[in-house]
Amino acid sequence: MTEVKKLIDRLEEAALNPAKTISESMKQTRKKAIGCFPIYTPEEIVYAAGYLPVGMWGGKTDISLADRYLQRFCCSIMRTNLELGMKGTYNLLRAVIIPTFCDTLKCVCENWKVAVPQVPVIPIVYPQNRLLDAGFRYMIDEFERVRKILEELKGSAITEEDLKQAFALYEKYRKTMRNFVEVVKDYPVTVNARTRHLIIKAGYFMDKKIYTEIIRSLIDALKKMPPEKFDGVKIVATGLIGEPIELLDIFAENNVAVVADDFAQESRQFRTPARRKGSPLEKMAYRVVDQRGCTFLYEEQKTKGSMLVDMVKKNNAQAVAVVMMKFCDPEEFDYPIIKEEIEAAGIPLLYLEIDLQMDSFEQIRTRVQSFAEMLC
Amino acid sequence: MFLGMDIGSSSSKAALINDKKELVGCSVVNMGTGTNGPEEALEEVLRIAGVGRKDIRYTVATGYGRVIYHNADSQITEISCHAKGVSFLMDDVETVIDIGGQDSKVIKIDKDGKVKNFVMNEKCAAGTGRFLEVMARVLGCGIDELSGLADKSTIDIPISSVCTVFAESEVISRLASGAKREDVAKGAHVAIVKRIAGMCNRVGYRPIIAMTGGVALNGNIVRLMGEELGQLVVAAPYPQAVGAIGAAAFASEKWKRG
Repeated sequence: MTEVKKLIDRLEEAALNPAKTISESMKQTRKKAIGCFPIYTPEEIVYAAGYLPVGMWGGKTDISLADRYLQRFCCSIMRTNLELGMKGTYNLLRAVIIPTFCDTLKCVCENWKVAVPQVPVIPIVYPQNRLLDAGFRYMIDEFERVRKILEELKGSAITEEDLKQAFALYEKYRKTMRNFVEVVKDYPVTVNARTRHLIIKAGYFMDKKIYTEIIRSLIDALKKMPPEKFDGVKIVATGLIGEPIELLDIFAENNVAVVADDFAQESRQFRTPARRKGSPLEKMAYRVVDQRGCTFLYEEQKTKGSMLVDMVKKNNAQAVAVVMMKFCDPEEFDYPIIKEEIEAAGIPLLYLEIDLQMDSFEQIRTRVQSFAEMLC
Repeated sequence: MFLGMDIGSSSSKAALINDKKELVGCSVVNMGTGTNGPEEALEEVLRIAGVGRKDIRYTVATGYGRVIYHNADSQITEISCHAKGVSFLMDDVETVIDIGGQDSKVIKIDKDGKVKNFVMNEKCAAGTGRFLEVMARVLGCGIDELSGLADKSTIDIPISSVCTVFAESEVISRLASGAKREDVAKGAHVAIVKRIAGMCNRVGYRPIIAMTGGVALNGNIVRLMGEELGQLVVAAPYPQAVGAIGAAAFASEKWKRG
């Protein structure tokens, strides 16, 4: 077994078995875990507090209990998270951090307190006007508030040095991931759409230090291989999340490679580097200030459409695939705007509506295959 | 001979094209994937063409059941095949509206029958042949009688529900309140036409617009579609078999390319 395959298998296994991976990570690091809801949470503070931040981006499960709080027209990530919380799956978490980026997240923040009382909730509100100095200061106040709650939870202070080290580690992780998504463009066969997603997702369930080292090794091992020939369709993908995994299998079946992404769960987490100056909390806030093209962060002039057009050009892609999470209002509101801009640039656009609980993929198969046939 | 098999959700279609690129036969059997429909459609088209299975050089499968049909040399989606089929049968078509039993599509095509863009309905029976089947049942007529019935309509009755289930109860309550069957039938047609027109607007459309799929046999809907879009809308020849004909045309090309 080659080094590349060994590393990929390990990361895929980790991503496909979150509960097992989190338990092992907790055991390995002797840390307790704290759940981090989408879209952004101050993971560096969690890490600095000595906890293991783990991502909570839903999954596949039968929804029955969550119906008491969330209607069927709420997005399936939130419904799944609440369902699993109510079923006790998240009892291993010391707390969950829930930001309020959309209406459903705001409701879940309150619902969680009564629905999953055994797992404390730490709410965080990011500023709507993050580009104003007041918004920036407010964001730091929020980070400080989360810091205090975590200090109470662990029973000791989180020092500036703790924060500095955690932030440095996260910057290293983000830089490595930016490097990873660049490098894998040359290996669309070995690292196909499914594998690319799972490798990135694994990082949500592992200690970032250990995970970053594995990704570094994978990059080094991949670079020893010659670039792979690929005669399929190269796309840029956008959306909240590139799941269910069957969707990515359909991409791979039809020789469609994701050469760059704008998924909230993937590149949006690491594409923006930090500024050099400031305290760790200021640098964290500046990262949010500097983030562009994210549906959940207000922009007077939306840059997402032009950003996607640029990504297509920069990566020699042929098209954009919009993977729309059903009932994700913010992403749905953005769609008409980005559609117009992408089509005006003459770039073919594929729209796929997804739901984490979907189990019939025939329509999606027909759409993806037709799109690939159209572009070949 | 080159065979195209279009295995849909509610019917199976087969078409044969000869070496001179002439259509020598097509068949439609009202049994879809998971039934004996594909086999019967194949037998029927072989009988019509007067040839045997050994004469088939290459087979392309399309439609909902294309992936599990193992007797084909390759499979291509119905979107590409309807585009190809229309261009095989007609000149100057730029937009194809295919309304099948389970889903509907609007496809923009170039002069060679290649797909330029397409839009498909969401996973819902609204705007599909299934919607009309339900309406025909509620109105107590065959699906092939709906067109003639709607032609007799004198009053516009809107059916506002796009969901097939809600539309069914809306139609029942219209009939219960004394509405005439023909007016309700036309109301159901207008509902489906507006749904499809919305898809046309999403993808953009240009004349000539050809309708394919079983619903294209409904002359009332084809006329209403033209009125709604303000463009020339015509039913393709052999509308139910266009996908199979396109698949056969692809089979011929693939064979020649080796």
